[in-house]
Amino acid sequence: MEARGAARLRAERRRALLAAAPALGVLTLLFGGALAGAARTSLVPLGGEPTLDAWRALYGDPAFADSVRFTLQVTLLSTLLSCALAMLVALVMRRRSVVVRALLSMPVPVPHLLVAVAAVLWLAPGGLADRALGGLPLTLVRDDLGLGVVLVYVYKETPFLVLLLLAAMGEALAAREEAAAVHGASQWQRLRWVVWPAVRTPLVVGGIVVAAFVLGAFEVPLTIGPSYPPTLSEFALQATQGDLLAGEGVAAATLLLTAVASTLLAILAVRLAKDAAGG
Amino acid sequence: MVETRVQRVLGGLLATAFALPLLVLVVRAFADRWRAPALLPQDWGMRGIELAFSGQAAEAFWTSLLVAVVTTAVALVLGWPAARVLGERRLKRPAIAFLLLAMPLLVPPYATGAGLTEWFLRLGLVDTVSGIVLAHLVGVLPYVVVVLLSAFGPEVTALEEMGRASGLAPLQRWRWVTLPAVAPTLAAAAFLGFLVSWSQYGSSLAVGGGRPMLPVVMLPFVRSDPQVAAALALLFLAPAIAALALTARAARSPL
Amino acid sequence: MYPGRLLLLALIMLALPLAACGDDDAGSGAGTADAPGSSFPEVEREARGQTVRWWMFGGDDRINAYVKDVVAPAAKKKGVTLRQVPITDTADAVQRVVAEKRAGKTSGGGVDLIWINGENFAAGKKAGLWLEGWALDLPSAKFIDLEDPTITTDFKVGVEGQESPWSRAAFVYAHDSAKVKPPPKDFDELLAYAKANPGRVTYPAPPDFTGSAFIRQVVAAKGEDEAFAYLRQLKPLMYRKGKTFPKSEAELNGLFADGEVDFAMSYEFGFIRNEVRKKSFPDTARPFLLGKGALANVSFVTIPANAAHQAGAKVVADLLLSPELQAAKADPKGLGSPTVLDLSKLEADDAAAFEGSSSGPYVLKDLGEPVEEIAADEVAPLETRWKREVLRG
Repeated sequence: MEARGAARLRAERRRALLAAAPALGVLTLLFGGALAGAARTSLVPLGGEPTLDAWRALYGDPAFADSVRFTLQVTLLSTLLSCALAMLVALVMRRRSVVVRALLSMPVPVPHLLVAVAAVLWLAPGGLADRALGGLPLTLVRDDLGLGVVLVYVYKETPFLVLLLLAAMGEALAAREEAAAVHGASQWQRLRWVVWPAVRTPLVVGGIVVAAFVLGAFEVPLTIGPSYPPTLSEFALQATQGDLLAGEGVAAATLLLTAVASTLLAILAVRLAKDAAGG
Repeated sequence: MVETRVQRVLGGLLATAFALPLLVLVVRAFADRWRAPALLPQDWGMRGIELAFSGQAAEAFWTSLLVAVVTTAVALVLGWPAARVLGERRLKRPAIAFLLLAMPLLVPPYATGAGLTEWFLRLGLVDTVSGIVLAHLVGVLPYVVVVLLSAFGPEVTALEEMGRASGLAPLQRWRWVTLPAVAPTLAAAAFLGFLVSWSQYGSSLAVGGGRPMLPVVMLPFVRSDPQVAAALALLFLAPAIAALALTARAARSPL
Repeated sequence: MYPGRLLLLALIMLALPLAACGDDDAGSGAGTADAPGSSFPEVEREARGQTVRWWMFGGDDRINAYVKDVVAPAAKKKGVTLRQVPITDTADAVQRVVAEKRAGKTSGGGVDLIWINGENFAAGKKAGLWLEGWALDLPSAKFIDLEDPTITTDFKVGVEGQESPWSRAAFVYAHDSAKVKPPPKDFDELLAYAKANPGRVTYPAPPDFTGSAFIRQVVAAKGEDEAFAYLRQLKPLMYRKGKTFPKSEAELNGLFADGEVDFAMSYEFGFIRNEVRKKSFPDTARPFLLGKGALANVSFVTIPANAAHQAGAKVVADLLLSPELQAAKADPKGLGSPTVLDLSKLEADDAAAFEGSSSGPYVLKDLGEPVEEIAADEVAPLETRWKREVLRG
């Protein structure tokens, strides 16, 4: 009996693996190829021998260190703010009509670049907000701290996170909340013990996606970020605008490092989330 | 929970707050002259629209649309079984699968495109629709799987059990039980996948530079000619908003 | 644990292509042109039915209109289909050619023609990316002045027939004559103006090519160390106290149009005329120079050595250089940019077509003594020095 059960389990596991194989296999192939290509570009300049020059150039460049610091700053701020805001908005939006939800989701299909352009139109000195209010208290475009960049990302990513959260807050959850309410749980208790476990995973996953995206995106900082320091992707872009052939290697190295950083962040976040939830 | 008036007003305000700033793009597209300190354009006009449509924009629009639809379809087909397996927690070591899924999302898209260019050149995939689809797939497939997997789980499995117990054949079960149960999430996954491909700039340029794609055609205008950029933005947004409407309708399915 | 195994797998994947990396530059470097004996009519015959993909900046509607409404029909008459591939930066095109070279693609390349000059051309030339020795064989090449260093060298790098001239640029500045009268005459006066009017002067940050050109002009006027001292002096008097700069010429134009700063600048000789036509600049905007003359250069079109449609590309390059199309380009109603042709080498009626291209209040009639560009490989170090001493300073 034991043996049959174990064998069936193994067969099921194998079937599961086979089912997931096409997607995972395609991804491994394509993405692995991309990583390999980027690694090659960073290590082998055109027509030359493999060299660590590009990586050494990064290591020795103080601008790179500043860029890392600034990018992490903007990423953390954007992610935490948009997660918090998304949670609050999702709670408010739960029972709203489809039309209202659709309006809220407007930023989602808009590419970041266009949101940044709209942000400039609104927030720049001489922009609409300036014209309407006679002056803004804060500098939000090309400011040292990158607050404008954070604002744009929060504006753009919150609806995306809200959509993810709402997808997890369906009828089943409402039913469970009803049941809890019937048993005398207060609103806070319902939030903590019924709602939170249901949304925890999409929130963490969404947060990681947002963080990774902000870490690597460049159109928004290009449009409204400060001249210095540049974000990592801007840094990579600027590298190719100087000496093109050497710059390619530096750019590839920068982007690879960004990828590594994002992955480490993701693993860290997942570990933290698991610990916080008690496994 | 009782729906309070405050909540309703708040909901409306939030929705407006998120939707309104984008209207400025619509105004900018039709503004021939809009200089400070005017709140509304001094001159309205069609210059932006005319110029936007006179170039490669039309061809770029259809190519981008084709690529986005094909990529989404392929991602759904490949991703459905994986999403199922992950959502129902049937994998022994899901962490590896998740890492593999997450990694393409964590890499700047331009890096992915640039890294693939050489391989695709050797394979003759550069500047072809298939090549661009494959490059986009790297970003779209993870999103699709990650979103779709939240649809599967004990509830859907239970429903399918009921279907099986009622004597439904597998295909009928899929059509009448599974599909409606996951429809909202499926729609969301398809929508997101479509968007990711539709807005993709980095890999479109690297792998498909020779074929006009809408984001690539639009980017040069963003800094040099905001009016044309805004007009192209409207073109850009049209299918995305249409897809959003479709998704909202699909999400309203009874189950 | 699992991440460890994944890391190992990743390392193996990375190592594989390195092992195979010996085979990337199969074949020779730059391809050479057809044998000297082959005549242009033969090239034209070969070009019939080809589609030429011209990778060029796509964000300027007048240039796009010129390509679509003037160049493409002219090419069509010769049986060549011209297709503009819009890019944001010339480097995008060069990177594609580099990738093709890495992939060992020595023919059938996806880039047939590139609008290029300066560092990008120099980098490609060093890497052997461009087709050699074809530019002077074009029929229209007899109309250019081979004694002109701006035609035979590109940022002090010898052209050597690897690119064909297309367009002249002259760096000019803009001011609003209703507000600033008269404009500063040189850089010292600009500094004095900034002292008297803090926060009203700025320039785009390198590596933007307009900002880079501004830096180069200051260096040309004062010598390198003096120039950087000057820029550091100017910084606190600038817009936003020099803490932040516009990231592109277009952004600076926007600031000027909105009245946030008092000066704009561009390589594009007729840019004020175009911005006024776009109703972005005020009608009272006027051009001026800083120093004895305008920084001038020529931009070219080049053909990658592995281009799939070289004959077609040569036909297009020749058309671009022809008096008819150059005149159309110089027409103030269209692009209005100066020609690269030597007018003394043209027939009388052809030369007459170029009259009036520098008319109107928005363009300068006299560009003074043209300031030469520095060597291509000196550009990047200057930009790096600027970032270090002025931006971070």
